[in-house]
Amino acid sequence: MIAPAALLVLAIILPAAGVVLALAAGGRGAERVAMAVIAGGAAIALAIAGTLWSTGAPLSYIIGGWAPPLGIALRADGLSAFMLLTSALVIGAIGLFARATYVQPAGTPERRAPLVFWIMLMGVWTGLNAVWLAGDLFSLYVALELLTFSAVPLVSLEGKPETLAAALRYMLFALIGSILYLLGCALLYGGYGTLDIVLLSRLARPEPVVFVALALMTAGLAAKTALFPLHLWLPPAHAGAPAAASALLSALVVKGSFILMVRLWFDSLPGIAGDGAAQFMAALGSAAIIVGSVLALRQERLKLMIAYSTVAQIGYLFFLFPLAGAAGDWERLAWTGGIMQLVAHAVAKAAMFMAAGLIGEALGHDRIAGFAGLGRALPVVMFAFGLAGMSLMGLPPSGGFVAKAMLLTASIGEGQWWWAVVIMIGGLLAAGYMFRVLTPALAGGAAPVILAARISRPRQAIVLGLAICALLLGLMPLRPSALLEVGRTTQAAEVR
Amino acid sequence: MIWLAATLLLPLAMLFACLSQTLRYRMSNWLSVAAVPGLGAALFAPEASLDLPPFLLRLRLSLDLPSAILLGVAALLWIAAGVYAAAWLRDDPRRGRIAEWWLLTLTGSLGVFMAADLVSFYLLFSMVSLAAYGLIIEGRAADAQKVGLIYVALAVFGEALLLMAFVMLAQSGSASGPGDGLLIRDAVAALAVSPWRNAILALIIGGFGVKLGMVPFHVWMPITYRTAPIPAAAALSGAAVKAGAIGLLRFLPLGLALPDWGNVLTTLGFISAFYAVLIGVTQTNPRMVLAFSSISQMGVIAAVFGMGLGAPNADLALIVAFYAAHHTLVKGGLFLGVGLAPLSGPRRTWLVLVPAAIMGLGLAGLPLTGGALAKLAIKPVLGDGWAGTLGILSSLATALLMTHFLFRLAALPEAVAPNALHGRLRWSWLMIAAASVVVPWALYLMVMSGSVAYALSPASLWASLWPVVVGATLAAGLRPWGSRLPRVPDGDIVMLVAARVARVAGRTAAALEWLDGALRQWPVAVLSLLAISAILAALMLVRV
Repeated sequence: MIAPAALLVLAIILPAAGVVLALAAGGRGAERVAMAVIAGGAAIALAIAGTLWSTGAPLSYIIGGWAPPLGIALRADGLSAFMLLTSALVIGAIGLFARATYVQPAGTPERRAPLVFWIMLMGVWTGLNAVWLAGDLFSLYVALELLTFSAVPLVSLEGKPETLAAALRYMLFALIGSILYLLGCALLYGGYGTLDIVLLSRLARPEPVVFVALALMTAGLAAKTALFPLHLWLPPAHAGAPAAASALLSALVVKGSFILMVRLWFDSLPGIAGDGAAQFMAALGSAAIIVGSVLALRQERLKLMIAYSTVAQIGYLFFLFPLAGAAGDWERLAWTGGIMQLVAHAVAKAAMFMAAGLIGEALGHDRIAGFAGLGRALPVVMFAFGLAGMSLMGLPPSGGFVAKAMLLTASIGEGQWWWAVVIMIGGLLAAGYMFRVLTPALAGGAAPVILAARISRPRQAIVLGLAICALLLGLMPLRPSALLEVGRTTQAAEVR
Repeated sequence: MIWLAATLLLPLAMLFACLSQTLRYRMSNWLSVAAVPGLGAALFAPEASLDLPPFLLRLRLSLDLPSAILLGVAALLWIAAGVYAAAWLRDDPRRGRIAEWWLLTLTGSLGVFMAADLVSFYLLFSMVSLAAYGLIIEGRAADAQKVGLIYVALAVFGEALLLMAFVMLAQSGSASGPGDGLLIRDAVAALAVSPWRNAILALIIGGFGVKLGMVPFHVWMPITYRTAPIPAAAALSGAAVKAGAIGLLRFLPLGLALPDWGNVLTTLGFISAFYAVLIGVTQTNPRMVLAFSSISQMGVIAAVFGMGLGAPNADLALIVAFYAAHHTLVKGGLFLGVGLAPLSGPRRTWLVLVPAAIMGLGLAGLPLTGGALAKLAIKPVLGDGWAGTLGILSSLATALLMTHFLFRLAALPEAVAPNALHGRLRWSWLMIAAASVVVPWALYLMVMSGSVAYALSPASLWASLWPVVVGATLAAGLRPWGSRLPRVPDGDIVMLVAARVARVAGRTAAALEWLDGALRQWPVAVLSLLAISAILAALMLVRV
């Protein structure tokens, strides 16, 4: 029997070990290693969430027995549990989906792409789990870099010149973001002599050095999250990558840096930023929603449309800062709503990118104008696409609806009605770009659609299954989630 | 209890069965069965209530007398339209898909009458609104896709207004937080003290106004009823549109006296009622004429709600439900007639036109029809003042419009190859025509406790007869000039405005696209990154 706290280490070690093993095993073995890691990782995520659920208390593990500020601590609170579960679900689906693409059939020469894909998939997972669990700002930085450097090769997996350019663009901009973050870390360390989240939250005072540090770190992380207007790298990277990689990047990778921002604002330096900065963040989020959605409406290619939809959907996350930061009755609801938006978008967007991948494979192109009659040719895929779209539009029952309803309620409750207006407009625009795809696919085209390739049933089933998960998230009660708040109230109480 | 559950579960189970391809293509034969539990619920469980197992969402279904009436007639129409659809879609390659959308729309349409809490109401309301999209785009018209997009844009817009209203209502309704399982009744009761009462009322009237086709949100109605397959158009125009009526019935605080809001709603309602007739008489397609008549009738319903909002009336819900029930049967029925007319050969006059005349002029209050009773019911609510006068004028206008409809129906060209279909279409048409008279009478006597003597008194008969006669005469007089009336482009004048708005929106979008391109340049992006950190730091410093 493993001690529950040791599970935290295992959650990071397992995919990391997978990376090493896959390197050793080579192309044909990599896939098998990845499958084993997926099964094990899911079990670990469930075990951690189950422990938190049953005990109602956060877990922590001091590595090597060296307590912070000397050593490093891993911590799992409700937010970590949510994120562990989400990444296990989404990565599991992506892994199963990608098996058909990244096989190394026996007797054929080994290709580069499959090995890179499976290794980087596990690399991303290591980075993500480390972001969810790390207890100090420097470990978080390391985790984030691991995440970025595993994600970049996924963009250029196909090795085409334009995807290479997109990958470089992504890496360069992410590096600029990293520099800003690191600069902020240095300032904080210089000021307080620790980067441990809990210790920092007790020590930090509202003073200029903290402000500068927080501003730099936030901007750097926003660049990695592709918050408007720092999204230059996202559309080409997410639209150019192969479907499974796009799903991973859009669903999870951009959320890593966002969660780091949350850790920074709510856990390390609670109440430091003040309302002005929080409103500014949400204003950028609003601009992301409006501009991203309008741009999504105008794209001619499906994958670019989905990528711009990611720009827009990320915007909603930033409502968390003014809504969950304000003291009041509604902040608990905003907290659950904001994180639900993250989870719902992760699940729905992964399903949507995979559906788009299947459509592209079947048709040989992904031009929206050529989708007439697709609903008849690929009913299951289009159905899954539609379900994922429901969640993005925020229609009930879906995770997106629950998230948006909670954010709306909180914004009205806190008297910040202007964010509610943006949420509504965003929903309308999302309906616009979804139905622009769905209408020709469902109706038009009496002529039979000629498919360039057949799509196997299991792959369709995986996409549909994930889309149904996005729908099932809509059964979440519209109230603050108990699991998500594990560790949150006690921490807040400690600070106050 | 079991009836309420079955009303939702049977169509959903049938939808589930459509996963099998064989069953999907046979499902169009069984569509009428899906609505039977709804009728059963209205007949045998009109006061029932059912809490869904509270393991995740806490949902409650319940019926009271007004909602049971609406549910019952809607189910009746769905049954008749289902029988009709079985024949209509017999060899249609689209029948599998139509059956799926049909079942989904039906579930929402019947369910919305039973929803007692905010969450399930919103869920079922969205279901009936959005699933209808699938029925619309299955139409054969060349522009069906465009129509579908216009429909869905307005439906989603209406839903956005409602979601906002519900969120605000939920906050007024519970001090502890919104939570789930909040009953509409409790939320609306809290409206009396809500600080956002005006905003909520505006959102509710706007949101349900879209569903009811209130001017200027009516543009979706004529084009969708023109496009959708006939049986679907019948169900949508009769039953699905009543989701808006039950919405106003459930969410307007009819117990509070709010004369200002009452006046606003009544005025808006009458504007719809007359505007739609003006546009409707210029239309040549009988389906469009019917759609404008629906807009007009929903306007009357809104006006009645407005009067009730101004001066509380304990019976208002029942009266509106009664009026709406008659409209459900008539409007749905007439669409079935439009489909039947070109197929009925030499028997068109007796088989189609005469029942259609009884039903259509019934809407204007033709004596002895169900419509006369409906007009009788709303008369005391509208009163003797300006609203009462406008009410009488609207009967007259309706008679004018419906006579115009009859001319257009008679003028429909004969089908090129009259097939054997009409034998099976005929029964559902005649059944619904009979129901449009029998059901209102039965309700009038048993539920509304109306008196036969009053309904048949010479004064009542005369009061309902003369507007019909005048309106019909006007229409007959107008007929020779029919071709000289200004042609209103497809849909409506509002469409022209919409086209201009679309152009402006297009330019804005192009500008945003340019902005996006500019922001995604390296120098600009790096500058924005630095600017963001500077602004954040400045905002944090300034606060201190």
